[in-house]
Amino acid sequence: MPTVDTAAPATGSPARPSEPGSVLRPPRWRRTTPWLLLVLAVVAGFGLQTQLYTGQERTASTILMFVSLAVAWNLIGGYAGYACFGQVGFFGLGGYTTAVLMTHARLSFWLALPASAVLVGVFAALIGAPLLRLRGHYFAVAMLGVAEGLREVVTNVPGLTGGGAGITVPTVDAGAPTRWLGNDGFYVLFLLLAGVLVGVGLLVSTSRAGYALRAINQDEDAAAAMGINTTVAKTMALAVSAALTGAVGAAYAFQQVTIYPERLFDVDITVLMVVMVMLGGAGTVIGPVIGAVAVAFASEWLRQHYPLVHTFLLGGLIIAAVILLPQGFTTYVHDAVRTRRFSPLANLRRYRL
Amino acid sequence: MTAPILAARGLSRRFGGLRATHSVDLDLYPGQILGVIGPNGAGKSTLINLLTGHLRPHAGTVLLDGHDVTGKRPWHIAQAGVARTFQIVKPFRGMTVADNVVVAGLYGARGPAGTTTGAPAGAVGGRRSGTGAARPRAGRRTLAAVRRDALETLERVGLADKAHLAPAELSVADARRLELAKALGLRPRVLLLDEVLAGLRPGEIGPALELIGSLRRDGLALLMVEHVMSAISAVCDQVLVLHQGEVLTTGEPTAVLSDQRVIAVYLGTRFNQSGSARRTPRGDSDPSSEQSGPAPLAEREEEPR
Repeated sequence: MPTVDTAAPATGSPARPSEPGSVLRPPRWRRTTPWLLLVLAVVAGFGLQTQLYTGQERTASTILMFVSLAVAWNLIGGYAGYACFGQVGFFGLGGYTTAVLMTHARLSFWLALPASAVLVGVFAALIGAPLLRLRGHYFAVAMLGVAEGLREVVTNVPGLTGGGAGITVPTVDAGAPTRWLGNDGFYVLFLLLAGVLVGVGLLVSTSRAGYALRAINQDEDAAAAMGINTTVAKTMALAVSAALTGAVGAAYAFQQVTIYPERLFDVDITVLMVVMVMLGGAGTVIGPVIGAVAVAFASEWLRQHYPLVHTFLLGGLIIAAVILLPQGFTTYVHDAVRTRRFSPLANLRRYRL
Repeated sequence: MTAPILAARGLSRRFGGLRATHSVDLDLYPGQILGVIGPNGAGKSTLINLLTGHLRPHAGTVLLDGHDVTGKRPWHIAQAGVARTFQIVKPFRGMTVADNVVVAGLYGARGPAGTTTGAPAGAVGGRRSGTGAARPRAGRRTLAAVRRDALETLERVGLADKAHLAPAELSVADARRLELAKALGLRPRVLLLDEVLAGLRPGEIGPALELIGSLRRDGLALLMVEHVMSAISAVCDQVLVLHQGEVLTTGEPTAVLSDQRVIAVYLGTRFNQSGSARRTPRGDSDPSSEQSGPAPLAEREEEPR
């Protein structure tokens, strides 16, 4: 994965006095480099696939899935600054929509996935319109409640969703709307999803919408005084973030074949998304990617080498990382390069805890 | 006299039992500056919040080009050409100084592509007058055009050489300039200034007043809430005095500032005979001031936000 700070083109390069043109408009190479790196990373992902054996390929697919989820959460949680603790609700809703459509409506997976994304996006816009009036902790708690509520609903309509016993998507026999893609197929699917989502993140970061969301993040009254329709901007950010999360959930449900409410609405998934974005750097393009790869990789490595205490060790690692990188890895690198002070302790003092 | 761009009629707002503003009338004309003064808690910031839609009035109307815009959301008012600054500056801290102004250009008043920002001479008032809040949205301007305009705006307020800095790296005076640049980035017809001179050193006030004067010459309608009385008398065409949410008096600066009632609410009755007292710039904020006055200043509520 590229480790260059691709978020910089959005904000220019603060505190680096250079030629006047670059103050406002980053040079062409700074605008095109992120896209080149993204294409390179996807190509490298295809290359990597040839070197992995089955178990590793599944792990890599999971890591790519979390890259997508972190990038999607970053849109609402990072750019707009609305800590959405119910994101797994969108993940589960997307997964169950696809499972139900494939099982009951015999819809092809390739139609079910976009349909799920649209449905989840519309749902998010509908609940977002009232809930985005809440700020800070109240919004976080309300969204947590939405996710729990969705899980209860899904559990209590067994006719449609199979309830707590789970639902199995037909994938093998002649009646299967779409045949299971196999480990190779799902690796490619998650790789392309991650590529598309990072692309969306790049677009948002450099667009009008990116300016609006960052302004809302800093001060909503001031953003409104700048002519930004904050209600529309926030609702759109939540809807897009939710739709993308729903699409990832759809792919996950198909990969798992049999899905259960407590797995698809597992609050741990939300927590992982938040931790990945916070560690990598909220509100940047590359931060969530770095955070997702690092946390998912560390989690997997610890699970294989310390099977009994891996959760404990992962928790310790996350605490240490949060303390040492208070604004995320990307921000640390950015500030270190800017101020020429590379000590993590200097970074700690800058954002004193 | 031409018709006012922005007008308020009977504007009232309560916070619980506190009448923050009560039945306030005002008119803002292009090329004129209305100064709004009054002790802390008189309702000056509330008045601005009511005019910009950040607060909804409980009674009264706000008229923009004669159209009723009461209760419209802040972004509607801003897009219609009414810009404001905040008493406590609100920069977007995650962005460079330049990008702060770019935000205003991207989302603010929409005009045809290629028009310049910062209300250049003749561009304000004439071209946009009479279209009002109902003005249809013109085409969006390109990011490149907005960025060019932002740099022009920064030059005008004297921040061009700091365009690449983070807002946190600015001095108090420069942060005020940025707040003004963000408002000008909207290319407004009406500008509401909430204590833009507060915290400036005496030497910095002169250039700031020159800038405000040049905005008036460009045809902007300005309202400035201010505690610096010398500034009020230097640039304002009309002065409106608020006291406990109500208009105490309004008129020419020299007449208003020597009005016995104004001196009384600012400094207490003890200073009634002292003509020089009105030169005291922030006499209202002195907690040890006279208890013999009609309304002891120390007992008044803080200004609601």
